[in-house]
Amino acid sequence: MRKFFPVDSLARDSRFNQITMSQSQADPRSPLMASDTEKRPKANRLQPSRPDASDAARSLMHGIFVGEIQALEGAGRTCHDFETGTEAPFALKLDMARQAWDEARHVEISVKLSEWMGSEIGQYAENTVLFEAACSTDPVLRLAGVNRALEGLAIDVFTTMKDFGGIAGDPYLEFCEDWMLADEVTHVKMGSDWLRRITENDPERRKKALEFQSVVDKIFSFGGTRSDSQESPIGLARRFRELAGFTDAEVEDIADVSLRALEERKEFTRQAQADAVEQFSAS
Amino acid sequence: MTATVEPSEFKFVSFDADLIASIADGLVDVLGIDRPVHVIVDEATPLARTRTEIGDTITIRVESGAFEDARQPRHQSELSTAATLARALLRARDRISGGFGEAPADDDLDLRQIAAWEVYCVGRMERLGVPVNPQRWKYNFRNRHGFNDTADMAFDRIWTADGLSWGELEAISTAGATEGAPA
Repeated sequence: MRKFFPVDSLARDSRFNQITMSQSQADPRSPLMASDTEKRPKANRLQPSRPDASDAARSLMHGIFVGEIQALEGAGRTCHDFETGTEAPFALKLDMARQAWDEARHVEISVKLSEWMGSEIGQYAENTVLFEAACSTDPVLRLAGVNRALEGLAIDVFTTMKDFGGIAGDPYLEFCEDWMLADEVTHVKMGSDWLRRITENDPERRKKALEFQSVVDKIFSFGGTRSDSQESPIGLARRFRELAGFTDAEVEDIADVSLRALEERKEFTRQAQADAVEQFSAS
Repeated sequence: MTATVEPSEFKFVSFDADLIASIADGLVDVLGIDRPVHVIVDEATPLARTRTEIGDTITIRVESGAFEDARQPRHQSELSTAATLARALLRARDRISGGFGEAPADDDLDLRQIAAWEVYCVGRMERLGVPVNPQRWKYNFRNRHGFNDTADMAFDRIWTADGLSWGELEAISTAGATEGAPA
């Protein structure tokens, strides 16, 4: 069976349409740059009080669904891609197998929640960036990318959705997100523990893994979609990240990198819109 | 009458102004709209809000996300275009001739009232043959009225209704709402 599966070969049926991060980021539009900004609320945080809350929540729920598929694929690949003992300890692979089981259950829950919210499988584009973080050939970088960055993002997303369900009075959404959140905290904790154990006597490898995680964390901020700023739909779930084994300094680093991503996205949008107008005028 | 669209060419998205006009023309005929329709697309934002101004012309201001194919960002969805314009034109027709004279201005409607009116529009759209997912609108209705049987019964009454006045719609919506629902 093939090892180190490339992102463009993931198995999907015709309902899915995949896009890459670069395609997604090339979109010159942004809700932050609308022409009638004076009429907009300053906060974009996903809350039921937003006029477009239901549709925004449905879109995010579909993002969770495809994210769970990719997390399942990432954890499952880690079980298979590395030789037991020489490349990855058996106990690590057993943890990844348990995680794959959790992720499969999350996929099923996300499908049910999507139906509950009025969405269909494949209704939204699938951004494959999450799996891209799971393609490293070093199991330590894989842990940093999948368990700490991807699952860390899942903690932020599930906290936002759980709060959304609680405020809206949606018992299913709040309950399901709470249970999945508990799993994600465990997954991040597993990643944090294994990363420290494997690199205990290899500070250079640990440094490389944490640098890789920082890069992935910035990408997973999706141009500031996740940050401490109220302009971001998804907040940083500091308390649950702490429970998952992130140090205060690590959480501050993620907060900084997310805010930088938000500002860079705003600048990119300004420039991209100016370029598009210029090209249009010249044509 | 031929619907007009602004801009005629798009810079940020792959939308077709002629297609938008053609869909709007079809809906004007089906819904018996009695005046010209002008559609203005704000392509600078991916959000999906719609605002309608009624005068001698019905002007519909649409953010590009409302016409977008969610599977293919920046590309137009014919179905989304039809559904968005149909909802806007049904609301406009309600205000012009459907017993909605006392309805608050769009900016003064709260989220519960907007959700109820949307359900009234989409239920009629379904009966006109426009494909819709009722669960999407039920979910939004529940978010604004509450997740319980009372809200669901109100949803069903509005979804299947024709010829409601604003007062009747508001009465069903109010009776179906749970105190404290985020409206």
